[in-house]
Amino acid sequence: MSARQAIDGGAGRVETRADKRLGLDDLAAMVADGDVVAVGGGLSSREPMAILRAMLRRGVRDLRVVGSAHGIDVDLLCGAGAVSASSESYVGFEQDFGIAPNYRRACEEGAVRVDDSCCYTVVQQLRAAVQGLPFMPMRSARGTGFPGLHPEYKTMICPYTGEELLLVPALVPDVAILHAQYGDAHGNLRIEGPPVLDRLFAKASRRVVASVEQIVPTERLVELGGVTIPYFYVTAVAEVPMGAHPTACYPFYGYDRPHTADYYAAARGGRERFAADYLAPFVHGCADHAAYRRRIGGEETDRRLASWSTGTEAWMSLYREAVDA
Amino acid sequence: MTHTRTTSTRTTGTCTLGEMMIGAIARTIEDGTLAFHGYGSPLVQLALHVAKRTHAPNLVLVAGATYAVDPTPPFLSPTSNDWVMDRGAALSLDIEELFDLAAAGRMGRMFLSGLQIDRWGGCNVTSLGRDKLAMKLPGGGGGCNLSCDVDRVTLWTTGHGSAPDASGRRRHRLVEACDFVTSLGHRGVDGRDRRALGHRGRGPQWIVTDLGVFDFDAEGHARLCAVHPDVSIDDVRANTGFELRLADTVAQVPPPDRDTLALIRRLDPLNVHEHEIQARDRDRRFDA
Repeated sequence: MSARQAIDGGAGRVETRADKRLGLDDLAAMVADGDVVAVGGGLSSREPMAILRAMLRRGVRDLRVVGSAHGIDVDLLCGAGAVSASSESYVGFEQDFGIAPNYRRACEEGAVRVDDSCCYTVVQQLRAAVQGLPFMPMRSARGTGFPGLHPEYKTMICPYTGEELLLVPALVPDVAILHAQYGDAHGNLRIEGPPVLDRLFAKASRRVVASVEQIVPTERLVELGGVTIPYFYVTAVAEVPMGAHPTACYPFYGYDRPHTADYYAAARGGRERFAADYLAPFVHGCADHAAYRRRIGGEETDRRLASWSTGTEAWMSLYREAVDA
Repeated sequence: MTHTRTTSTRTTGTCTLGEMMIGAIARTIEDGTLAFHGYGSPLVQLALHVAKRTHAPNLVLVAGATYAVDPTPPFLSPTSNDWVMDRGAALSLDIEELFDLAAAGRMGRMFLSGLQIDRWGGCNVTSLGRDKLAMKLPGGGGGCNLSCDVDRVTLWTTGHGSAPDASGRRRHRLVEACDFVTSLGHRGVDGRDRRALGHRGRGPQWIVTDLGVFDFDAEGHARLCAVHPDVSIDDVRANTGFELRLADTVAQVPPPDRDTLALIRRLDPLNVHEHEIQARDRDRRFDA
């Protein structure tokens, strides 16, 4: 694919269908083998985990993931053998649990090509796509190891100032996979809290699939504070409560740290243990999202993770439990 | 402890190593500047909140992951992109604006770390192994861009001290050269002086470690300027992978005062920052 085609594909799309509502599996089916995938959210918040699990149940493969700061989302895709290259800026569990075990193993075994990027570099590449430009300039990254890792970066002498600039090409993901708090039938999305790269992903990508905690009337979206991502960028939307679990989706629920600790222990135990202790019970062994919700503890888990809003002590207690990973 | 340091380790006193490091990092933060912490860095998050509540009330504190401006989190959460961390903030930036601030020269200080830190202050959080990938690290987030754009950088690590293996060799955190340069120090990968690259930022100014504090000499080389009270210069030399340069005087890192200690404990009731401290260092104590 030439750069020219890539840019037209990203900027030329307008999604006008009046009703974008589909099921979770329909959204997952919009992600094809080999796609460049932009996963929304970041670290332990608002990751589109239910869509990712549905993709894995379908057996998606050969994805190239692009983005900024990620954790269990990309690690899960790597642990299920669905990723062939990573241009993420960070994949890990911060100081809480540490290095992402599946991601690390997949990179070191050569299953995932290491194509690391950096947050502002990704921002500039997405901005080029959003603006229909072939590249964006920046000063930073020169002198680091990244230009050596990315021969597609070029340098130029600025015709106005005479200084050296680094040029990074437009990045047009095939599909952005997002999870928002609210949406409407038309595909308008409302994100509360840090949008991370989601807005840029939505504007730069060829397709946008989004799960939301609640589909509400458009007037309600306006009452809640307005639209974060306009409907005409969005290809399809599905109502998937607890769709970001085990990451947080405030104000509905906080981060499920004990579940993440169990995930981490399984991932650190090696490929077979991860397949047996995590993928089997929580991904392939759940026919659908409703089955997953029962598997993680049903209403009791919903209540525990919603309890953050009752006060600081309750919020802290979500993180107080000793976890061994 | 004695396998790391030759001097005896005090386990009396009230101040922990984490609190010593938070105090030392806080002292690198000036008043009246805009400073940003990344994620996975509770020591730095706490240092910024300490600075703003003590000597730097006019600090513009931008939180990593949430990009909240001047938040007052009720406690520190174990992960950074949590609504806990943006409570009390009147506004949050989006990712474009945050990095634009740095690119346009408005960001005064940032904090970076690495599994390798070279003698010029370059850091590696991308991968170990020069010819063949030996270990994939998590990646640097925005550190590469910010190391170039932000005016001043404080580096920190809790892994400076390292135990020797059976053959007596240590795997150093502070190294002659990084296997991969994720964030830029005072020399580029080709050895070019940073000043020739025309970046906005002037590069690393301090390295705060579990053994002491470095500044940088006129050449841009790290230079030991202080040690923690239970550490000797020889300890630092044994745990450093490049030839140690010393400042004219090597001081002792002062502990934070009692009010600051109380503040740290109020800010981090879950003691999240202890996850950053190596297990072998968690019983070190200092008089405050």
